[in-house]
Amino acid sequence: MLDQKRHVDLLTTFPSLKRLLRSRSFQPGMMLLTLFVFTLVILTGLFGTPVGSRNFGIIFVWIVWWGLLIIMLVPFLGRFWCSICPIPAPGEWLQRRNIITKRLPKLRTLNKRWPRQLKNMWLQNFGFLGVALFSVIILTRPQVSAWLLLSFILLGVVLSVFYKNRVFCRYVCPVGGFIGLYSMVSPLEVRVNDPNVCLTHTSKDCVTGNEYGYGCPWMVYPGKLNRNIDCGMCMECLKTCPKNNIALNMRPFGTDLTIQKEHRLDEAYKAFIMLACALVYSVVLLGPWGELKNAANMQSIPHWLVYATSFLTFVLVLVPSVFGAFSAASWLLMKRTLPLRQVFIDFAYTLVPMGLAAWVAFSLGFVLVNGSYALSVLSDPFGWGWNLFNTVDVPWVPAAPQLIAFLQTGVLVAGLLFSVQTGYKIAREQMKLHRKAFAVMLPNSVFLILVTLAFMWLYLG
Amino acid sequence: MFREAAARMTLAVILLGLPVGIIGYRYVLEPTLNAESIFEVQAYAPERGGFSPAAIRVDAGEQVTLRFTSMDVTHGVAIGPGLDINLGHIDPGEQRQISLTFDEPGTYTYYCTTWCSPDHWRMRGIIEVRDPQNNNAASQIQPDPVIERLIEEGIDIDAVHTGSADHEDNILFELTSAARGSELIDSVVVPDELREIDWLRTHTPAESLTILSALNTSHSEAELRDVIAYLWTANSTYTADTVQTYNQNCAACHGESGNAEGLAAALTAEEPAAFGDPAYMFSMRPDVLYAKIRRGGMGTDMPNFGTLFTREETWALVDYLWSLAFEPELNE
Ligand code: SF4
Ligand code: SF4
Repeated sequence: MLDQKRHVDLLTTFPSLKRLLRSRSFQPGMMLLTLFVFTLVILTGLFGTPVGSRNFGIIFVWIVWWGLLIIMLVPFLGRFWCSICPIPAPGEWLQRRNIITKRLPKLRTLNKRWPRQLKNMWLQNFGFLGVALFSVIILTRPQVSAWLLLSFILLGVVLSVFYKNRVFCRYVCPVGGFIGLYSMVSPLEVRVNDPNVCLTHTSKDCVTGNEYGYGCPWMVYPGKLNRNIDCGMCMECLKTCPKNNIALNMRPFGTDLTIQKEHRLDEAYKAFIMLACALVYSVVLLGPWGELKNAANMQSIPHWLVYATSFLTFVLVLVPSVFGAFSAASWLLMKRTLPLRQVFIDFAYTLVPMGLAAWVAFSLGFVLVNGSYALSVLSDPFGWGWNLFNTVDVPWVPAAPQLIAFLQTGVLVAGLLFSVQTGYKIAREQMKLHRKAFAVMLPNSVFLILVTLAFMWLYLG
Repeated sequence: MFREAAARMTLAVILLGLPVGIIGYRYVLEPTLNAESIFEVQAYAPERGGFSPAAIRVDAGEQVTLRFTSMDVTHGVAIGPGLDINLGHIDPGEQRQISLTFDEPGTYTYYCTTWCSPDHWRMRGIIEVRDPQNNNAASQIQPDPVIERLIEEGIDIDAVHTGSADHEDNILFELTSAARGSELIDSVVVPDELREIDWLRTHTPAESLTILSALNTSHSEAELRDVIAYLWTANSTYTADTVQTYNQNCAACHGESGNAEGLAAALTAEEPAAFGDPAYMFSMRPDVLYAKIRRGGMGTDMPNFGTLFTREETWALVDYLWSLAFEPELNE
């Protein structure tokens, strides 16, 4: 079971934090704030200058938001972003027919059932790949970005008309998928203090909702919550639980990754996709191959089709196969005591810290280099020649260019060590004996080292 | 209850107020407050479409604002002829605007002033200024008497000119100096004709050398060349603006010093003319230079500038070319 000693409940430590998170106004307030920025992003995207580096939408979504999300929020606060994200807000408020107060006993939807076959991450996997294929266009053209984000928010509303709760966030949102996967690394978690209290609590207010709040919008039962991946940190259960059993724990990084019984193929694939995409992006955007960048930029459709096909083959077939070969080696080393499929899936979770580190390293590069654009677009969000805060002429200054390589190396090495350690824990769970576990984890470690070297070569070479 | 109402108000402001406010301000309020017409011109490198739109129609006397946004690389924008409007460099994403009134009907050109691509010189747009009283009066393109006369005379504007090919000669020519010529001018017999601007503009320095050599046997050829250099630059009309025009529009190929080694010199179909080379310039007529500038050079990648500069501005440019050739101190 959980090593409770290493978990600190922030809500007991900081009563004011508990008051804040229990308040019904906090979350909607944050969402209104992000919704304001989101609306501005859409407006600047649709009506502002088509030049990405001068457009508020492009800079604030793909540099400021992305940088905050992947470098700060996900690694340290897990799914915190999901609790303040503007995209599900209109749909959620529509279901509740209220923004702040809890008035209706039930959510207003058509009460359709979400298909069983889709109660997993596959939609999110393919959604992310779809966005990734067009990313060079999306990242540079404000109009495309705006339409994409607009389609997300509309899809969120449409789904909330048909289905209860945050179906969009949990099963559809391409961003939600990887935030969930990587949130398992974060040192922050929503859990119950004592699962036994839940066992005996028959009304389960956190699931059904009560006058203080709604039943878990993420369709999670907090009493059995053992991984961050599905909990949106909305704190609704904190408001509903009459037993004061909800905790917001600080814990060691990556605790969720080794909970083997929850390991699933869709999540394993999410890990492959994310790691492979980080690799492809680094190659396309940082590598010395201009041709490749042009192809990704859709300069000609045939070139792009070749690019797209190789991209998908690399991400969905090549990376998993190579990884599979290493898993097969582990499997032989353990004398086939477990099914190969399980070994493969289990070890895929070692790619989570590695993948997150790769994304942080990759993002550090362009966020630090291009961060200064944020100041100038703040004053002239549309590129219409405004100068609201007198910062239009702030020159483009890459922040700490000499430091970037050091930071990237540090992050990649930390990711590697973390991944290797996760690999050992997983092997230990499989083999029990230290010596055997050590042997079984070795092929996986070799794979991790090779991937890290590839990234280092791309960033430092 | 109060908090819920406040939240709903905020939501309405965000989802309705913000879009309506911003779009209304931009597309309704701003245009009505400013009675002038605003033209948005996006600047792309020529291979990506050049200026968009590439043609604008306005009425003479109407106040207009032209707003240029650079969409891809650094461009520069100037408007001519004869308006003296130069917006300078426009970096990618940057916007520059100018409000102005065209007093005279006619055709004006906005053009890029920065070497933005190998097709840079194609990057032009037209402003057609109509006479609001007389809508049908199509602006007549006036034939240029200077060019007409060259054609009548049977001069081939596009004939290939090379200076003296002789290396030794070149070295001697390089020393030609109008400054020294000005000291010699009083000791040399110069027919009045050779001081007249009409004569100077229609003849080559080489021709005047033949005339002066016959009259001044006691002077060396080098001395007479200095005198000729003086005569060709004495009545120069170029100004600081002319130099800027040259540097922005000509120097990419011809070089700022006229050494024909501009950044883009290697990309042109023909080697660019070297105005800084006195030997080359000795065989040139000013009116042919004028015609080449205004009409462009066939098959050489020399663009036409007749729609960008007035005739006076063009003559000033030609005068500057002679200074590049004959005033070596200009480049020091
Ligand atoms: S309401 Fe509280 S005690 Fe009851 S099941 Fe939920 S978390 Fe456990
Ligand atoms: S478990 Fe609690 S915090 Fe997590 S999504 Fe459900 S209600 Fe929100």
